[in-house]
Amino acid sequence: MGDLLRLVLKRLGYGLLTLLVVSILIFFAVEMLPGDVAEQILGQGATPETVARLREQLGLNQPAVVRYLQWLGGAVQGDFGISATSGDPVMDVIGTRFVNTLFLAAYAAVIAVPVAIILGIIVALLRNTIFDRVANVLTLTSISSPEFFLGYILILFLAVKANMFPAIANLSSGMDLGELLYRTFLPALTLVLVVTAHMMRMTRAAIIALLSSPYIEMARLKGVPPWKVIVRHALPNAWAPIINVVALNLAYLITGVVLVEVVFVYPGIGQALVDAVSKRDFPVVQACSLIFAATFILLNLAADVGAILTNPRLRHPK
Amino acid sequence: MSVFVIGYYAALICASCLAAYFNYRKVFMMVFSLTLISFVLGIIGGVPALRNVTIAAGMLALAAGVSYAFREFLIQIAKPDLAKELRTAPLTASFGMFVVFTYAIAGIFAPWIAPYGEAEVITSAFAPADRDMLLGADQLGRDVFSRLIYGARNTVGIALVATILAFIMGALAGLLAAVKGGWFDQVMGRFADVIMSIPSLIFALLMLSILGPKIWVIVIVVAIIYAPRVFRLTRAVAGNIVVMDYIEAAKLRGEGDWYLIRREILPNSTAPLIAEFGLEFCFVFLLIAGLSFLGLGIQPPTADWGSMVRENATLISFGDITPLIPAAAIALLTVSVNFVVDWMLFRSSGLKEQ
Repeated sequence: MGDLLRLVLKRLGYGLLTLLVVSILIFFAVEMLPGDVAEQILGQGATPETVARLREQLGLNQPAVVRYLQWLGGAVQGDFGISATSGDPVMDVIGTRFVNTLFLAAYAAVIAVPVAIILGIIVALLRNTIFDRVANVLTLTSISSPEFFLGYILILFLAVKANMFPAIANLSSGMDLGELLYRTFLPALTLVLVVTAHMMRMTRAAIIALLSSPYIEMARLKGVPPWKVIVRHALPNAWAPIINVVALNLAYLITGVVLVEVVFVYPGIGQALVDAVSKRDFPVVQACSLIFAATFILLNLAADVGAILTNPRLRHPK
Repeated sequence: MSVFVIGYYAALICASCLAAYFNYRKVFMMVFSLTLISFVLGIIGGVPALRNVTIAAGMLALAAGVSYAFREFLIQIAKPDLAKELRTAPLTASFGMFVVFTYAIAGIFAPWIAPYGEAEVITSAFAPADRDMLLGADQLGRDVFSRLIYGARNTVGIALVATILAFIMGALAGLLAAVKGGWFDQVMGRFADVIMSIPSLIFALLMLSILGPKIWVIVIVVAIIYAPRVFRLTRAVAGNIVVMDYIEAAKLRGEGDWYLIRREILPNSTAPLIAEFGLEFCFVFLLIAGLSFLGLGIQPPTADWGSMVRENATLISFGDITPLIPAAAIALLTVSVNFVVDWMLFRSSGLKEQ
């Protein structure tokens, strides 16, 4: 058990290190800007006084390393500095939006994960039949389509033509859960379509790789009934790849959410990021990038740790 | 019960009986399950639903026919050993090749095919389609069809350049890392880890907010984002090759690194690399389309599919499908490339899934 703990801790430490390097990259990328950040933000018409004030406000008079450490220290405590365009603390701008995004991603995940795994297993069992071929073409199409294409198709058919769901997900405080789920159904469905396709394909590949291994053939040859081959022999070994697939796809959801939020005008952090990018509001861009990257790294970490925990072979690397 | 409905079911049942009689099991399963689904659809959706199914089936049949003919055409004009490979291509793959071929033609000959210029304002905003304008006008009164054709040149062209750049950087680094090993391998590996631990869209947005949405910035940023994937694959493929005896023999002969890469490793790793190029192109293309859709990619008035979707998005709430057409063009190309790649992967891995 001590071995296992050490392995997981090592992986965690590696993840933290990656996050640190990524935060350095995000912070110093803005430093690469030619000229002065304050002048870049204010544009050419700015007076020297306003530039000086903004420099003071952004703390640009200190060396970059000091500013980085302050920024990182604040970020750990949830303080990302002050938005360059609105003057509000960044956390006020993106705090509730982050919760909204998490809600949307969780909503999509709760539908997509069970559906994808069950369908993936079914398709793996029916491999090389006509259903498998059709499922292959459908999932490939869904993966290859840009998220906004799927989103607009859903809007066209389910919102405009059939008038079943609202096309724009505007949330207001004080909505109960049912109303919330109804209003965010279309963006969630778009994400579900993309993520389910990914997850199905990966689950199918994992199960097929498993079913072609010799010990499964042995079980079959000694006359174990098919359902028992799946439940008793295949499934215990399938958990590791399935956990991996789920975590990787949740990480994928994090980026897919940006485009979907823009399509449905959903008040989430992805929309905030896109707005900030076009306004060149760097503190907000940095904060959003760091949050997205941290979530991404965390989920990849979860995939690795899950694989270590469920697959004893990984505990004894050769 | 209209004549259409009776004819519809009669055709389906006849087709499934024929398929069963001539022992085409797969065709039979497909046609008969379609019949069963049609019963449900017919009860829920009535005649219009069945009509839609017929149209969809007709389009599928048309696509299948085109792909079949195109495959035969390719077999005829290809050299004998290539033709032998092409014979094994499934219909989806030849459909993919046909679409890629069409897009290439549209992109290369855009100024001759498109009836108007890409930024030419010819009529009022959102004018409906007529004989001169196949798909109507956009929000400034430009011809959507012409812009679509030019988009094939701009969007696909930029994605192609970015992919090639990513590929050159990634493959070169991967091959060098495999041949040299040691600290170079380690440093490049860690560097790739860091780049890949940032979601690609987020990284692109960060860099574009700093450097501004210019075309060369997009190409370089996207190439840097996707080079690590190529690096990893090339490193893995080449890593399996450098341990072979013939590499050892070449080293003993005193050949240099460059010779090893060019004459020994590359010829043995082309198949997975070509497939990877196709996949990589899809990722790059989708990322660039996504950036354009967000208004941060290729800037107007250059015709570009992603921004065309964004500019005409308001039309969707009136039930107009104009904004869906460029989006569909994006999806069609990525699907097609994926179909071709799927076949190549299947062929190069040599593994027939049991």
